Amino acid sequence: MRTNSLILILVTLLSFSAGAQKFITKTGHIKFYSDGAVEKIEAHNRQVSSMLDAATGQFVFKVLLKSFEFEKALMQEHFNENYVESDKFPDSKFIGNVTNIKEINVAKDGSYDAQVDGMLTLHGVTNHVKTKGTFEVKQGKLVGKAKFTITLADYKITIPGAVVNSISKTVDISVDITLDKAN
Amino acid sequence: MKTWMKILLGLIVVGLIAGMLVFKFVYNKKHPDYESITPVFTLKTQDLYQAFKSNKAGSSTLYNGKCIAITGKLGKIESVDTLVTAVFVFNQGMFGDEGIRCTMIKKFNDTAKKLLPDGEVKIKGICMGFNDSDIIFDKCSIVNQ
Repeated sequence: MRTNSLILILVTLLSFSAGAQKFITKTGHIKFYSDGAVEKIEAHNRQVSSMLDAATGQFVFKVLLKSFEFEKALMQEHFNENYVESDKFPDSKFIGNVTNIKEINVAKDGSYDAQVDGMLTLHGVTNHVKTKGTFEVKQGKLVGKAKFTITLADYKITIPGAVVNSISKTVDISVDITLDKAN
Repeated sequence: MKTWMKILLGLIVVGLIAGMLVFKFVYNKKHPDYESITPVFTLKTQDLYQAFKSNKAGSSTLYNGKCIAITGKLGKIESVDTLVTAVFVFNQGMFGDEGIRCTMIKKFNDTAKKLLPDGEVKIKGICMGFNDSDIIFDKCSIVNQ
């Protein structure tokens, strides 16, 4: 009985400790940029949910595709209807790890290089993504920044024939998130 | 001026005008005036949240991309940079509080910041979908000021 109580207390304390290592946000920013022959395409999403478990390195972000904002309404329509088909595939997510999490001291202010490795799902297709970024620890917050490039064909996103030569076949993705310690 | 030249000139003028109209009203058309859109649905926040939790696919088909008015007890107001978000909280999960998150049109930021937690509020906006944690509303305005 006494042993069981001790185990329960230990598990509770460990759970609390693990919880204290989690950093979250729901207002992360993802930008995508495509520099085509005729036109540059840029869109922003500032409603990105993200979580980093600083104890294990698990790193997740989720984004709703309809939340990407374009300067031009027509581009936004085409993005949702013809490219990512957001009615059919409403969200995109990344599930992976910061593989060098042990080198990031979340208790000490400073800038740390981060190596991120995981699986990105977009348009119903999941591919491996590996990139480098930074985490800046500042007053208990983690500011994460990373850039990577995806090829539209890898996610079975087809460019309509009429504009195939004027739109880039790759898209640069920039991630900029400020994570707060979870309660 | 010869007749064929007149026709050609006329066609060029018509083509130019058509091109300008396409540029203005199609290629360069403005985003909708979100504040003036009439809601397609009016729902209680709890009902909408439960609808997505119990049937994500069906609710996504029904609600995503639509202007919806929702009424419920406000959980909190979050302010990050120029984004002000009214949050209706129903659960706890991987990303903390879970519920309905309504990002305001900038014009309504100051009004939203004055809303009190636990107060009943009616907000309308565009339902962007459910990310398995939250239902995201964007371009929101406060209806019952």
